[in-house]
Amino acid sequence: MNTVVQVVFFIISALILIAGILTVTARNLMHAALWLIAGLFGVGALYLLMEAEFAAVVQVMIYVGAVAILILFAIMLTPDLAGESDTPVFQKRWLALVVAAGIFGLLIVPTVFNYSWGLYEVPEGSTLTIASTTKLGISFMGVYLLPFELASVLLLTALIGAIMVGFEPGTRRRVLTLAEEFRLRQKSAISNHKPEEERALPVPVQPDASSEESNDRGLRRDESRQLDP
Amino acid sequence: MTDLLRSIIQDAWPFWLISLIASLITITIIMLAAVGTMMLMVWLERRVVARMQDRLGPNRVGPAGLLQSIADGVKMFTKEDIVPRAADQWVHMLAPIVVVSPVVLIFAVVPWGRGVSPSDFGNGVLFVLAISSISAIGLMMAGWSSSNKFAMLGAMRAVAQLISYEIPAVLALLSAVIVSGSMQLARMPELQGGWPLVGTTLGGPDLGLGWFVFTPVGLVGFVIFFIAILAEGERTPFDIPEADSEIVAGHTTEYSGMKFALFYIGQYVLNFVLSMVATVVFLGGWQGPLLAQLAIGNLAPLGGLLSLVYMLIKVWGLFFVMIWLRGALPRLRVDQLMDFAWKLLLPIALINLFSAALWVTINLWGSSPAWTIKVIIPVVSIDLLGWLETASPIVRQITALIVTAALNIAAIRWVLAINRRTEDEEPEEAMLDVLEQRVA
Repeated sequence: MNTVVQVVFFIISALILIAGILTVTARNLMHAALWLIAGLFGVGALYLLMEAEFAAVVQVMIYVGAVAILILFAIMLTPDLAGESDTPVFQKRWLALVVAAGIFGLLIVPTVFNYSWGLYEVPEGSTLTIASTTKLGISFMGVYLLPFELASVLLLTALIGAIMVGFEPGTRRRVLTLAEEFRLRQKSAISNHKPEEERALPVPVQPDASSEESNDRGLRRDESRQLDP
Repeated sequence: MTDLLRSIIQDAWPFWLISLIASLITITIIMLAAVGTMMLMVWLERRVVARMQDRLGPNRVGPAGLLQSIADGVKMFTKEDIVPRAADQWVHMLAPIVVVSPVVLIFAVVPWGRGVSPSDFGNGVLFVLAISSISAIGLMMAGWSSSNKFAMLGAMRAVAQLISYEIPAVLALLSAVIVSGSMQLARMPELQGGWPLVGTTLGGPDLGLGWFVFTPVGLVGFVIFFIAILAEGERTPFDIPEADSEIVAGHTTEYSGMKFALFYIGQYVLNFVLSMVATVVFLGGWQGPLLAQLAIGNLAPLGGLLSLVYMLIKVWGLFFVMIWLRGALPRLRVDQLMDFAWKLLLPIALINLFSAALWVTINLWGSSPAWTIKVIIPVVSIDLLGWLETASPIVRQITALIVTAALNIAAIRWVLAINRRTEDEEPEEAMLDVLEQRVA
């Protein structure tokens, strides 16, 4: 490894570390997500430094292009999380520190003790080559066919699950759009049209209430659902 | 470029320094070309749309208004840069950079002419897809940091549109990758020489017309990819993120001066570079008649120039079609946009991928163990594609053409029929009835 590569490596790793620290210390959740994206991007750069083109591109494609955008969407669609907040979710810092250090140690210790530090030299004219995308594809379709197929089945299951979440519970129908909800309200308003004062009165609900009153209840429940953000 | 510099400097400097300088020179050329192209594009768009709408368009600054874009640029530079007080200063400042820089990075892998490619990246197609998806984060940042409802809505729309249309675009590109067997954008045009439809398999003089778009698979792939890049570049039928009659200017609402200009530049450069990708992958890139005859000897530089001209003609042609569509079509609604991507483009693209695999199987690869059906294990086995080995190239080409064309036409008709049927049945009414009963 020549000097230039080492310098670039240290710069990139420093950036990744800074981004990682800022991810967990940032008060603003949106900033934390953006720092996370910076860190993931830096990992992609490290792959590229190791001449693993395919891994680098896929890292950017999946983590920066898909996962990060999903995180951003989730943050933006959650109104209470988007702003600044002074209270961390979890207060017991020492416990968190111990658990984090334990897991980190569990992962890093075997690596440190089993790694021959800088002793491994690539011999001159060795046949070690960088795995090309073609070779990767061939091994996916050959040796690792079963894990590959299993992973795709898993992803398909997640896809179908996501579609099922989108349905209105109990029916095979999707969730109403705003326009449809509006039309539903319009329809029920036409079908049981009443004078205003009668509708405004809180009608005590009887177990054998007439269908009109229960329709009215349904209408009001819909209205309260609309007001609730 | 590196080799050129090395021949001049003669290894007096270290290799990494020479590489760095060479890269910087290449990047400078590309950046200048990109900005210059963008100015021409804006001028062309304004003039052409004006002509379609029976107006004149900009015609005062310079000959035929050619310098109008420069005047606009100067105006943008001298404007005050306003940042809203409620905005997140840093994110607001970084957003235009995050939007524009990936767009410029795409240029790194796209060839301009024969042997003229900024870099020789092996996974060019993947690189384009990965890099172009970064822009979405910039849009998100712009929308969120402005703390403006319209900006936020625009950013949400933009990102939803971007990630929805990325999927048909990926599948369309994949069909091209399967047929050409290469993910290297710089090599794609080389593989599209020869005759229309058959390429170089039948021999004969190289016409340079074996463009991928002339095959049934490529035609469907090209149409899908072109629609997808219209959506990714936020061109008119899909300019929902910045629908000025609905949400002011989308994510650019709170931007002014040079930052706004950056978004503007970014959008036009994205249109241009995606047109370049579409040209390289589907329209043969720099391929064209007479190029193969000008490949060797003294005429090689002339051939290189001709290849550049072919490339630019095709790219500008595609951009002209984009302007044309802007003059002709109204804006879609958001739900129409999503339905179009998920219910129409995606199934067609998937089936097109399948017919791409069939095309190469019949044309190039021949049979494989997967095509062998063992009727009574292992006594009788029928190789479904065994006859391919003995058939002549012409027969194989015709078979591939018939099979893929039939499959694609059937797929398009089927998907259209499905979408039409759900419209006729009015599912909303039925659903509303069901829900009304449940609420009651």
